[in-house]
Formats: sequence, C-alpha cells, structure tokens
Amino acid sequence: MASSSVYSSPGFDFSNQLRNNFLSEKGLPLPKATSTGTTIVGCLFEDGIVLGADTRATEGPIVADKNCEKIHYISESIRCCGAGTAADTEFTTALISSNIELHALHTGRKPRVVTAMTMLKQMLFQYQGHIGAALVLGGVDATGPNLFTIHPHGSTDKLPYVTMGSGSLAAMAVFESSWRPNMSRDEALTLVKHAISAGIFNDLGSGSNVDACIITATHTEMLRNVEMPNQRVEKEKKYGFRRGTTAWKRETVKSLIVEEEITHVLGEAMDTT
Amino acid sequence: MTSIGTGYDLSASTYSPDGRIFQVEYANKAVENSGTAIGLRVKGGVVLAVEKLVHSKLLVPGANRRIQTVDRHIGMATAGLLADGRHLANRARDEASNYRELYRTPPPLKSLADRLGLYVQAYTLYSSVRPFGISTIFGAVDKDGPSLYVVEPSGVFYGYHGAAVGKGRQLAKTELEKLDLASISMRQAVLDAARIIYLVHDDAKEKEFELEMSWIGDETNGLHLPVPKDLFDEAERKAKEALETFE
Amino acid sequence: MDHIDMQQLKSGEVNLGTSIMAVQFDGGVVIGADSRTTTGSYIANRVTDKLTHVHDRVYCCRSGSAADTQAVADVVHLHLQMYTQTAGAPPSVHAAAAIFQKFCYENKDALSAGIIVAGWDKEVGPSVYNIPLGGGLFRQPWAIGGSGSTYVYGYCDATYQEGWGRDETVNFVKNTLALAMSRDGSSGGVIRMCVITEDGVERLFVPGDKLPKFWEGREVLGAGKTIPIDSGAVPMAVEA
Repeated sequence: MASSSVYSSPGFDFSNQLRNNFLSEKGLPLPKATSTGTTIVGCLFEDGIVLGADTRATEGPIVADKNCEKIHYISESIRCCGAGTAADTEFTTALISSNIELHALHTGRKPRVVTAMTMLKQMLFQYQGHIGAALVLGGVDATGPNLFTIHPHGSTDKLPYVTMGSGSLAAMAVFESSWRPNMSRDEALTLVKHAISAGIFNDLGSGSNVDACIITATHTEMLRNVEMPNQRVEKEKKYGFRRGTTAWKRETVKSLIVEEEITHVLGEAMDTT
Repeated sequence: MTSIGTGYDLSASTYSPDGRIFQVEYANKAVENSGTAIGLRVKGGVVLAVEKLVHSKLLVPGANRRIQTVDRHIGMATAGLLADGRHLANRARDEASNYRELYRTPPPLKSLADRLGLYVQAYTLYSSVRPFGISTIFGAVDKDGPSLYVVEPSGVFYGYHGAAVGKGRQLAKTELEKLDLASISMRQAVLDAARIIYLVHDDAKEKEFELEMSWIGDETNGLHLPVPKDLFDEAERKAKEALETFE
Repeated sequence: MDHIDMQQLKSGEVNLGTSIMAVQFDGGVVIGADSRTTTGSYIANRVTDKLTHVHDRVYCCRSGSAADTQAVADVVHLHLQMYTQTAGAPPSVHAAAAIFQKFCYENKDALSAGIIVAGWDKEVGPSVYNIPLGGGLFRQPWAIGGSGSTYVYGYCDATYQEGWGRDETVNFVKNTLALAMSRDGSSGGVIRMCVITEDGVERLFVPGDKLPKFWEGREVLGAGKTIPIDSGAVPMAVEA
C-alpha cells in the first residue's frame, strides 16, 4: 500500500490507481467521476456562424466559477466552445490553436475549419475518450461557414445547428422548434440567446450569463455576457448592525508602534583600503 | 577516363564538376562485363533469357541461376554482379509480399519496378554504400497484360517491348528490333531468344556458357516458370543451326 | 455489478446503432443507410450521413462506434489516395475492402466497427464486401449490417433476386431500410442512398415522412370502445 507522504518524487503519481485497486479488491464502488455541466451551442445563419455558451463552471455540486469563458480562440475566424472537463477543453483548444497558427504560417493561407476539426478529432481519437472534451467548432473560411460538433471519442458531425453539454437537450429543444434556414444575424443571435437561456434555467449544470460569438467572413465579434439574467439584486433590507448597538463601559487606547532604543557601540572601523 | 586521379570517383555521394556520378558509371561497367540477358514482351506473355558465362568446368550445371522468381507471376533476369542480383531479388520478393498483404491483390509490375527503382536509387546517395552493379530485366503478366521493365544501377527504370543488358546488348538490341514482338507467339519468342543469346555469345573470348530461359503467360497459366525441357532443347538446337547459317 | 470495471467510465461513446445496406446489380451498386446517431438514449444527430466516400467509385457504410468508423474510413481514404498516386489508376473495390479489413482485423480488440464496402471498378464491375465485427472479409451480392439488420434478414432472403435493374434495386434497399428502421429503436430518421455506376455517383434522399409504409397495426382488432364523456366524472381542477 502506498502511504501518503508530504514528499512527492518526480514523475507520474500512481497513488490513485493503487487506491482504486484497493477499493476494487474490497468490492467497494469507485469514487464517482463527475461530469461538468455546460450548455454550448452553435448555429448557422445567412452569412456566418453564431456560437453561444453559458458561464458556469462546476466542481461536483459546487459552482467553481460564476463567470468563466467557454468560447475559446482557435484563429481569428474560427472559435470553439468547450464542454466536459474544463482543463481538457482549455488545453486541447489551446494546443490546436497553436498548431493552427503554425499551419497558417506554413501554408501562407487562412486556416480552414475542417483542418481544426481534423486535428481535434485525431487527437481525441488517439486518447480514446480519456480527454473529456466535447466541443462545438465553428468558423468561416475560404469554403464558407462551417459548423461541427466533436465528441470526446473523436467522432464528428456537421450540422446547421448544434448543441452540447448537459444543457444540450434544453438548448436543442429551442433550436428544433425555432431554427430556420437563412436567418439574419440578429435572428440567429436571439435564437442562440434563447437556447443558452434554456440551458441556464432548466439544467442544473449550467447557469449564470450568456456569452456569444458572431463570426462572418469579414469580422468576428465576441459578445461577452450579452445576457446577464442572474445579476444579484439590491438587498431589500440592511443586515448590518447600527452604530452604538453594543454598549461599552471602558475605553483603552494602546500604541501599537514599537519603540526601540538603539545604543551605538564605538569600535574600530573596518579596514577598507 | 577523365575521372581517374581527380578524386571525384571515390564516393557515390560526390558529383564531378560536370555533374556526373562516377560511381554509378562504374556500376554500369560492372553490368557491361556480364553475360547478356534479354527479355521479350510478346503476344500473350514474356520470355526471359540469359547467357550465363561458366568460369569453371567444375561447376555443377544449372548452378548460380541468374533468372529468379519474385512472385507467382513475376520473373527477373540480372546482368552484373551475381550477389547484387540475389539481394535485389530478395528485396523484390519483400516488396511484392507487402503489396499483396496490403491490397490482397497481385502486385502490378509497374508498382514493383517503381518501388525497386527507389530502392536502387537510394544506393547512389551515400558515401557509405556502393551502387548496385546490376541491370535487371523484370517480366510479368499482370492485370494490364504482359509487361517488361529494366531497372538500371542509377535507379531509373523504363518499360520495353524488348530489352537487352550486359556484354552483347548492342547486337541483341539490333536483333530484337528485327522481330515483330507484338504479334509473335510465346513459343516463337523462346526460339528467337535462344537464337539471339547464341548469336551474341563471343566464342573467341569466353568459351563456355549456359543458356537459361523462363517464360510467363498463356502457356504457363500466368506463372513464371522455366521453359520446359523439350522446347528448351528444340530452341537450343535451332539456335546452333542458325548460328552456322548466319556466318 | 459487483466487479468494478474501468471501461464503465468510457460510456457516453457515440454509437451508430444503425441500419445499413448494399446491393449489387448489373451496372452498379446501391448503398443505403438510416440517419440516426445516438449517445445512450439521446439522438445526437438525426440526419447523419453514414455513406462515406473513400474514393471516386468506392463508398462504405458505417456501423458501430462513430469515432472508430470515422477514423478507419479516414485512414483508408488516405491509403487510397496514395494508391492512386503511385499506381496512376483508381483502386479496385477489392483493394479498398482489403485495406479496411486489415485495420479492422489488426485492431479488433480496440474497435467496434461493422463496415460494408461497395463500389464499381474496371476489373470486375460492381461489387459489395462485408466486413463484420471480427474483421472478416466476405464478398456478397447483397449485404446488410447494423443493429437494425437483424430484423430484416428474412425479408431480404425472401425478396432478393438476381438480375434486377437499377430501379428495382433502389426500391429493395429503400423498403428493407424502412422495415429495419420501423422495428429497430436505434435506427430511424431519413433514408440516404447512393447509386454507384461507371458514370458516377447519384445520391438519393427519402425524408422521414415519405418512407415506404408497411403494416402498422391499426384497425386490425376492430374499432376501439369510446368512453362516454357524461359519466359523471369531473375534470381535474387546474390552477388558473
């Protein structure tokens, strides 16, 4: 058995595996792996893509961050929403973003969405689902607007409107009832806001604000907190204690300044010649 | 030779100032010293024949074959260093086997020649190795019908209707050009092949030689096989007769 | 389950619990598939295209794990491009199927992929190859696959005939898939089909509300009894 110690040696730490094997021998269930909740969506409109996300990050039952960013930068006109394990989505999108930039420098062309999609699916497939990243990838390139979902095992889908994360069912219900081909920019943004709001209000794993990102051939607009439906309102009453609530009998004032007496001892000066 | 003493001929990885690689040219010399090998691509098949010079009367007849089988339907005849020919044959077998493994289909000769061309060329790039001292005639009947290729020491390869390499190649080529290769039968091609080998053999320099012949095509059900004894004997007899009337 | 299985954590994999099919006819092949992709009980994609291009005249129908079959199809696509470049000619359907089989067999422990390869080539004309789960390779005049296929083996055996033309074959594929989709919960949506001939690839589409209809169980047991409304029952009180 591995005993816990303050000292940790360099390299990988397999103590969790030992723990799991021990629990397994005793016939106890494994510590439950919790999936993080999210609502992310993407939607095609007449001249581009709108991506949307909520801003809640969770650690099991606790809201870890009430206003996080889930729409990650891949390139100027390609962005990627991440659901699943926060660290995994953060690092995979950062890695692919870096590789896409190098690829663009290498080819001298603007990167394509399918290129980012292929890089992501090949990486996730290689890790056989152990990288828990569920992504919505969207952007505009030389071939026009493109929208994909990428599942943690590396499968991809190309659709005109997509949702992912624990709130995907609520968001998809909104899309399925209201999405139409060739919507205008404003209609698409409103629809995405509704879809994310459906996730925020009906899914426990999603919450706080709405982020959106509108990508067209000429311009990318990141709309951080376009909707803030969960702002804390002014408290109706003051709960602080009024001055003079507590009676007192005596007052003492202490000086906190430390006084120190310094005695200079005369001695021979150091030889500095 | 302009190259002698210049130092540009010491390595295959060094060009001469006029852009030649002397080591590759020397490799061609090794081919020119060898007995002639010919290949005929005719109607319904391919025939290979070599003039195998016998340097000792003590050698067992049929030893040190210079025609080898690469795959069921592919044969090769080499002119040049015998050991290099055997090495390339092994490589060719590996290539053929890998192709079969991946595509589950018999390798077309073009693909094989392409791969072996790359392999041979790689030996012209490094100072640590010596280019192949062989020119190889590959013959096969594949999905596109009969085909014939020659891979040279530089790594280049060409497809031919009739091919000749080795000592007597010039005379052999003139003889091959006289034939109507596209319409003669495989049996006729065997007779012609034997005649050409006997014709190009220089009796004055080399006394002894052994004729080696194989064929692939309709007559063999698409397999690379030695020419059967009765036909071989007939071809050899007629070749000797033709030689007497020729001169 | 008393045994703790780490594989359990791998759940949530995207599945093509599918109905797929390919049939050869005189001048070509017809391939078809439903369009449902599921994660557990959720339909992740209701208009999936499971008919995947791997070369000009060679397609595959994918069933099993979406990730696995997409990865395999991508790798085969790469190999066939290399083949075309080195051989200077398009690959045979057999060669394409052989590459699929190589990957499916050599990685059988890691993959869940049932693939049907079909297409047209110069050497043998139309052909259909089935590569089931273990990585075998079988040439068949027709092949069905995926979870929905089990419901329609009998129908195919009873219906298929040699010597059909294009239109009869298209109808056979359409009907078979509609039957499979109606019985298999993991299959559904629309029917996508491709007709692959020497001249090209033609895509056919049957929307979900235009599927061929078969017996659906209505009006066989006689008209149902209607319950009289004035039975004294009062509707439940509902707030405003």
